[in-house]
Amino acid sequence: MTDASIGAIAFVTLLTIVVGARGIRVARTPDDFMVAARQVPPGINAAAISGEYLSAASFLGIAGLIVSQGLGSLWYSVGYTAGYLVLLLLVAAPLRRFGAYTIPDFADGRLGSKGLRQAATALVLVIGWFYLLPQMKGAGITLQWVLGTPYWVGVVALGVVVSGNIAMGGMKGITFVQCFQYWLKLCAIGIPALVLLIATGHDSARNLQPDRAPVFTQATVVQVSQATDFTLTRPVRATVSGLIDQREYRHQTVPLCACRHAAGAGTQIGFAAGSPVPTSLAMAPAPGVSWDSPLSAAGTDGAHPLASTYGIIIATFFGAVGLPHILVRFYTNPDGEAARRTTLIVVLMLSTFYMFPALLAVLTRLHAPQLYLAGDPDDVILALPSLLLPGLPGALLASLVAAGAFAAFLSTSSGLLVSVAGALSHDFMNRGVTSFRWCAIAAGAVATTASLLIGRFSLALLVGWAFAIAASSFCPLLVLGIWWRQLTRAGAAAGIVVGGGACLTAIVASMVGAATSGWSAVLLGQPAIWTVPLAFGVMIVTSLLTQRTLPGDVGQVMLRMHLPEALSRPDYRSLPLERARRSTGR
Amino acid sequence: MEETAAAQPQPAQPQPAQPQPAQPQPAQRQLVVWRGDQMPVQHNIPGPGDLRDDTNTGRVLVGSLIRAQLGLSLMCLMLALAVTVSFPLVAALVPAIGRTTVAGIPVTLIVLGFAFYPVFLAVGWFYHRQARQLEARFIHLVDPPVTDPDD
Repeated sequence: MTDASIGAIAFVTLLTIVVGARGIRVARTPDDFMVAARQVPPGINAAAISGEYLSAASFLGIAGLIVSQGLGSLWYSVGYTAGYLVLLLLVAAPLRRFGAYTIPDFADGRLGSKGLRQAATALVLVIGWFYLLPQMKGAGITLQWVLGTPYWVGVVALGVVVSGNIAMGGMKGITFVQCFQYWLKLCAIGIPALVLLIATGHDSARNLQPDRAPVFTQATVVQVSQATDFTLTRPVRATVSGLIDQREYRHQTVPLCACRHAAGAGTQIGFAAGSPVPTSLAMAPAPGVSWDSPLSAAGTDGAHPLASTYGIIIATFFGAVGLPHILVRFYTNPDGEAARRTTLIVVLMLSTFYMFPALLAVLTRLHAPQLYLAGDPDDVILALPSLLLPGLPGALLASLVAAGAFAAFLSTSSGLLVSVAGALSHDFMNRGVTSFRWCAIAAGAVATTASLLIGRFSLALLVGWAFAIAASSFCPLLVLGIWWRQLTRAGAAAGIVVGGGACLTAIVASMVGAATSGWSAVLLGQPAIWTVPLAFGVMIVTSLLTQRTLPGDVGQVMLRMHLPEALSRPDYRSLPLERARRSTGR
Repeated sequence: MEETAAAQPQPAQPQPAQPQPAQPQPAQRQLVVWRGDQMPVQHNIPGPGDLRDDTNTGRVLVGSLIRAQLGLSLMCLMLALAVTVSFPLVAALVPAIGRTTVAGIPVTLIVLGFAFYPVFLAVGWFYHRQARQLEARFIHLVDPPVTDPDD
């Protein structure tokens, strides 16, 4: 299994570097991009957006979170898809018509303020880094799983590969690479899910029954790979070889109470059919929320699950609009109408993809409940194929999953690092190629170092937090900037600083464990529920108080965002009217 | 047909009833073709020029377009949110829903895992179509197609 997986990961990495390097383009100017990519058809463009978007959280995180925390975690995949519907409805066409290349460009072009531009750039860095952390963590645990290397090896390896590749000039706006990544990821999760579904059949739905702790459906010997603490819901007699609760056994039947136990590395525990499944501390569900409940208390330790669920919903529905690495891709659409079509196809592509993590999570609970002993929920999808399908087929599927996971880390972290390094070098350093390279390396180093500290947080949770920051800062900026004439510089700046700052503070407080119970845990752990309304409110109130500073050209700017291209072309009169009508569908 | 083309209304031009030469020279005497089945053309029909020059008429036109687009977007957003966001609330109020199974599969899994995606696609498709038609109507309003008076 290991050899095939190493080969698959190496293949994906090399292919990404080679395909990316073919189009080495050192300058990263909008015109450059325009020439290369304006003619990209919507289908290719949509696959490129989806490829860049589907990250470690989508590939490994969501399924792991569903297995450990329950079906309520499906809100993450629903929200990641709905984010693009919101983007389609509120942002896609006007943003394309405006022609902004990055969010700081939009802030500057819409409101004409350098200070606002720098505030926006600072937030691009915060969101970009926050989003990079889970990608690095994903690489760490994947290499740990495949090669058995320590966690930091995978983190550093991804950091070096991605920042090196970008500093050398690869992976820049190469639509084709990202398009390829989408189809690779879809195959890498879809094929294993469907093969395992067919291979296992649907004979035992016992573990899906409501309010039931999972049980072993057949006699199972569990191999504990590293020292793990676990709990049991019922007392059980198990056949143990190895170390358990500090006592050495040699194939003996041991009564285990319904309490906490410690298993040593290499211990084998045999459970009879019908025995309750032991659950490791890492996989323990939040108290108070049953597995089949549609509510999720991830990140808030079970306090007020309804509020916590709405926190996830607000963050993910409105966060996709404000992600710094996605906006760039809309520039490659020829016009606003094509931007809408592209976004609609993205919704279709994401919907297709997100059915499979749910399927894999359900298969895990049904047929491989021993994975509740896993040391990290994000490992579950990597381990599943070889457990359900022994021998070569399982090994091949496992290497396909590992390769797809690596594709996810590579594509998302490359897109993010390009955005972060571009923002750094464009707004805070002297612009230029050398500066961009150093910024890529520095930004990669910062993300790599920080990732070494966040190993215990779930991937889906980390990405959800990046969405929460984007939803509380850039989402109001874009939505109000596009639809509300009266937005002022002061209002926009106050909104993104207060909203983004409050959200970031809450998340950091939650990460260091400032509150672990009650309302404070919910308000810090899923802060979008209050920071998004706060950001909108601050932006609107401050704008209304500073109406005298309204830019004089606001009428022209609004016109540029909303006028159909058929009318806004300077030479529209010389265009045959028929052609103009055809482009708008008449 | 030269004569007919010259007589067609040209709404965007300030003196619409003039014959075709692009630079009309007011000093010259001009032949104006007049037929009974043709309405005299108003001088201040709103046109694309109003949008470009940011006149009051242009502002009213753009304002109406933005409001119509925003109305459509918000309607679609409310539709999608009403379907999805109500689910946790309903499930919290009626916990039995979360425990229901259909053919051994929990309702939560069916709804969250599969059922919402077609809703998003349907709303997105509806919006895409409506927005396209709205823009086509706006173009039609601002820059009406040239009709043949002989029709």
